[in-house]
Amino acid sequence: MQRSKGVNIKNLTKIYQTHGGKSEFKAVDNISLDIKAGEFVTLLGPSGCGKTTTLRMIAGFEIPSEGDIYIGGDKVDNLTPDKRDTAMVFQSYALFPHLNIYDNISYGLKLKKITKAQLDEKVKNIIELVGLKGMEVRYPNQLSGGQQQRVALARALVMEPGVLLFDEPLSNLDAKLRVYMRAEIRKIQKKVGITAVYVTHDQSEAMSLSDRIIIMNKGIVEQVGTPKEIYYTPATEFVADFIGTANFLDGEILGIKGEIATVLVSGGVLELPYRGTKKVKDTCKIVLRPEAIEMGEKGLLKGEIVSSTFMGAYQDYVIRVGDNEIKCEDFNPQVKTVYSEGDKIFINFKKENAHII
Amino acid sequence: MTINKRRMKNQHKIDDMKKIWKDPVLVTTILFLIVTLAIFILYPLYSVLKVSFINEGNFSLKAYVQILKDIDFRQTLGNTLLLGVTVGILSTVIGFLFAYADAYIKSHFKKLFKVVSILPIISPPFVLALSAIMLFGQFGLITRQLLGINNANIYGFKGIVMVQTMTFFPVAYLLLIGLLKKIDPALEEAARSMGASRWVTFKTVTLPLLLPGIANAFLLTFIEVVADFSNPMVIGGNFSTLATKIYMQAIGNYDMAGGAAIAVVLLSLSILLFALEKFWIEKKSYVTVTGKASRERDVITEKHIVWPIDIACLLITIFVLSFYVLVPIGGIFKVMGVDYTLTLAHFKYVFNLGLEPLKDTTLLSIYATPITGILGMIIAFLIVRKRFVGRSFIEFTSLLAMAVPGTVLGLGYISAYNTKPLLLTGTGLIIVIAFIVRSLPVGVRSGVAALQQIDPAIEEAAQDLGANSTKVFVSVTLPLIKTAFFSGLVYTFVRSMTAVSAVIFLITPKYKLLTASILSQVDNGRFGVASAFSTVLILIVYVAIAIMYFGLNKMGVSKSDDNIL
Repeated sequence: MQRSKGVNIKNLTKIYQTHGGKSEFKAVDNISLDIKAGEFVTLLGPSGCGKTTTLRMIAGFEIPSEGDIYIGGDKVDNLTPDKRDTAMVFQSYALFPHLNIYDNISYGLKLKKITKAQLDEKVKNIIELVGLKGMEVRYPNQLSGGQQQRVALARALVMEPGVLLFDEPLSNLDAKLRVYMRAEIRKIQKKVGITAVYVTHDQSEAMSLSDRIIIMNKGIVEQVGTPKEIYYTPATEFVADFIGTANFLDGEILGIKGEIATVLVSGGVLELPYRGTKKVKDTCKIVLRPEAIEMGEKGLLKGEIVSSTFMGAYQDYVIRVGDNEIKCEDFNPQVKTVYSEGDKIFINFKKENAHII
Repeated sequence: MTINKRRMKNQHKIDDMKKIWKDPVLVTTILFLIVTLAIFILYPLYSVLKVSFINEGNFSLKAYVQILKDIDFRQTLGNTLLLGVTVGILSTVIGFLFAYADAYIKSHFKKLFKVVSILPIISPPFVLALSAIMLFGQFGLITRQLLGINNANIYGFKGIVMVQTMTFFPVAYLLLIGLLKKIDPALEEAARSMGASRWVTFKTVTLPLLLPGIANAFLLTFIEVVADFSNPMVIGGNFSTLATKIYMQAIGNYDMAGGAAIAVVLLSLSILLFALEKFWIEKKSYVTVTGKASRERDVITEKHIVWPIDIACLLITIFVLSFYVLVPIGGIFKVMGVDYTLTLAHFKYVFNLGLEPLKDTTLLSIYATPITGILGMIIAFLIVRKRFVGRSFIEFTSLLAMAVPGTVLGLGYISAYNTKPLLLTGTGLIIVIAFIVRSLPVGVRSGVAALQQIDPAIEEAAQDLGANSTKVFVSVTLPLIKTAFFSGLVYTFVRSMTAVSAVIFLITPKYKLLTASILSQVDNGRFGVASAFSTVLILIVYVAIAIMYFGLNKMGVSKSDDNIL
């Protein structure tokens, strides 16, 4: 039922002036993206990475210095925000404090040429959808944070936009509510089948919500992929480090045969899956997630326990392997051998858990 | 590299302009504002400069040489500066006393103090001077009746100092109360816990924190004093100031060039003081750096501190109030100080012969009020929310209007608009425009302050939902800043009804203004009629304020203390 639209971004650049115009800063540096209709895509990155600027350029609040934006195949560069088929959910919610909930939600519809009856029906449906029934005549300051969030969502949804934009919408909620609301958002987005572009710096939000994640850093796109691709096969050290906890082992590529690379890592030689562009003799890093590592009397690589901390659910180890220190989480320590500081051990991991970058 | 950098910088400006150009309403508004501000603020000032430098068609310094030779002018300049310093100091001290009593002391009369410090702001500027003559003049109630002095002379320096201090100490009070309330009590508590007594804390913490604010208050009152026209006009006697001298020279002696030259001197002085206040003192404020107080201050309750301050403030309050009470009383006696027969003759005179100025003033003020209100909010909106070429021009010009003394503006208007194509002198329009220009800066300033409190995302949300820039302004921005908008309306109306300095140049037999009528009655020594006129004027102003506040309450706007003009 939703006439959702795709978004195409071509060579988008945004330059800001800093220090009173003395120097320039590329907030967004020549990025290109294709977002399919009905897809939930998250722009993820640390603050200042250009994700919000990109979102605001899609909405039309910022004018690109270079590049083009297409919504539903149409170039929108010359359209002001009110003419674009987008609706945004703001970080601060930006509810109109002088209007009640009903008037807040119906604000945009009143500007469209539809009958009073149609308007009323749409608003009622959306209020029901986001679970705000009975709140219509209240004012924003009489609602809780979670309820305000729902109004903001409803106000955008009721416009039935081609693309729904979210600018860190959950960052003002407490942790529990945040988890609940992100499930709600995903549920509603799937139900109405709308294209959503979601900006956040919270990786768990991105992982749980998205069909695809776009990782940005310093104005450029580091990687685009599904949550699994991003987690298991990060394209760069930045991505590996930004998503979850990553251990890095320095290595050197000794040989590549098909999709298997032979790698020298702190005295050991390992054969690991590899599909990248590195050549023989290149240095590389092996990414290992803490939960993928096991310890034992024998194994792939030698190590020494640097610290061992009981965390309840798991024993938290820091292990020196060659020149690198890695973190390891050994779950359910009650029934396992617990090593202590100074113990010499071996580490083990499944080959598919190791990713070369 | 440098070329690339320059290209990038231009690129940025182009990005912003692209955004503006897509909005024809916005472009039209901006162009209209730039042209209007240039014609009605910059051009008159240019015109004053031109008149002062041109003699018989050629560039000449003759006017300046002449006024510099004039002992009278040098005396006037000295007078003005002396007055500025004296009243500046007195107003700051009294303003501080009231602010301290309000913020720090458990005072019994806080409400009363507040009323007294607001009264002079919403009253006609010469009411106090009028009362001063009736109280302390040759036939003064106090001087003649109470003390039996027969040759009392209130005219001159001491009279001006008295009424100007009473008129302008609220300026200092309002500024200092804002700062005092922002000082974090924790700072003073920290000093106390380290062993400082109350007095030492006051001397070493409170006062140093406030020092830039005190300097600011002094400068602001200085600026007001220098620009003040009506008080020296009424009670100055032979003691002339730059503001009155401009009028005397240009209108009294028909010496436009000389008047213009004095106007340039006054304008330079005002702008200098203003720039000092804006760019030097404002930056030094510590209080605005530390920001909001973490919690309410525990007010001082010790009797030996409360009583002296309370009594001092109370005495001043009674003094000021007695001046106001005297105005209507002066209207119902035949001749104050001489013949205390009750009479309605003065009021009858006002409602027979004075009806025309009453009507003209009220009507012209009513025209000016909504225009100023809306214009002020639009300018504030553009300054705060939009980036465009000409933005700094609009900001600067509307700020400049605040620094221009009324007499300078008035002189500018008669010299700028007495030829085609802008032949406006003698029309009601030019008076309305003068009203607007005089009140606009305050409207803009309160609009800017209000807008800065509001998350820009709220307006973006409206635009995102399909509202164009006009619709956003009308349906979201204006409702959110309506308190500032309405206080702008009230301010404009009051200011226009009581305006003297700028419009005294512009009145014609066709358009008579109430304030000018009162001045001429005072000139002729007819204090009874002047009192009756003033009473009616004050009543109109208060009724208007009451109506507007009533309307405001109806619309659900709370009248917070900060917005009480």
